[in-house]
Amino acid sequence: MPAALLMASEASFTVNGPLVVASFDLFGITWNLTETVIIQWIVMLVLLAVMLIITHKMEVIPKTRRQVIAEWIVTFAQDMVDTTMGPKYRGYTTYIGSLICFLLLNNLMSLFGLKNPTSDISVTGAIAVITFVLTQFNRAKTGGFKGYFKSFVDPMPFMLPFNIIGEIANPVSQALRIFGNMVAGMVIGGLIYFALGNFAILVPAVMSLYFDVFSAVIQAYIFTTLTMAYISGAECE
Amino acid sequence: MDEMKILANAIVLGASALGAGTAMIAGLGPGIGEGICASKAVEAIGRQPEASGAVTRTMIIGDALAETTGLYSLVIALLLLYANPLFGSLTSALEKFGG
Repeated sequence: MPAALLMASEASFTVNGPLVVASFDLFGITWNLTETVIIQWIVMLVLLAVMLIITHKMEVIPKTRRQVIAEWIVTFAQDMVDTTMGPKYRGYTTYIGSLICFLLLNNLMSLFGLKNPTSDISVTGAIAVITFVLTQFNRAKTGGFKGYFKSFVDPMPFMLPFNIIGEIANPVSQALRIFGNMVAGMVIGGLIYFALGNFAILVPAVMSLYFDVFSAVIQAYIFTTLTMAYISGAECE
Repeated sequence: MDEMKILANAIVLGASALGAGTAMIAGLGPGIGEGICASKAVEAIGRQPEASGAVTRTMIIGDALAETTGLYSLVIALLLLYANPLFGSLTSALEKFGG
């Protein structure tokens, strides 16, 4: 028996995972091409197109409005990196800037009636794993081989298991945070539409303003800020 | 035998619904934590209005960290409602004892 509590009656509210558009077998594993992957491709294409348009034919002194917008985005990302990570880490600006643009568009996809890619745990998990790898990379780069392993037995050798658990808990909580917020918005929005039925006027719009717009922007910002905090916090002395 | 299966399923369903509701009591903690966080941020901005940017940034990160425990409980509640792992063990237990 599939365990969907609310599926008991016919006209009820259900929450589904991402639709599987196509699946194929490769190397003995079934690979599913889901709805969220395709929406992410759309997001990437839109980002690429917008970025190509606004950076087209740039000049030293900006004359066009699109170049002002492009410069504002770059300055915003640079300021974020400078204030949170320090000027030493300015090389991460490209990653941080693209991460916040990508997450913001992904979170706002529910406004267009699509499923949020970030309400799929595989998507947020994958981005959190990138953060985890960058964190370990920065730790190894600043501390070297010795400093990397020494940071795990810091300040006392018996702290080793706690340090390892703490290190693994970071990407888990980071992935669950954005996933939980987006799914909560989806579930509550769906429940409100279901409860109001044909009288769904005004109330869903106000709730959507909070869950789909405010929460989406804040979560994209928080994910990026935490990524920066984790990466620069992994630095060895 | 069928009646027993239905009864067992009904017990698991009801207990899961109760469990999901109970799990969300954990929403209390993040609520209180975020409230304290915001009140301290307001105090700090009142004392030093020129540092409002840094205070707001720190407050948002603190809020996000305080929220984590609430989200863990949300994940537990969603698991119990939509991807219940308990039915698997129920099925195997019924096979073992009742056939």
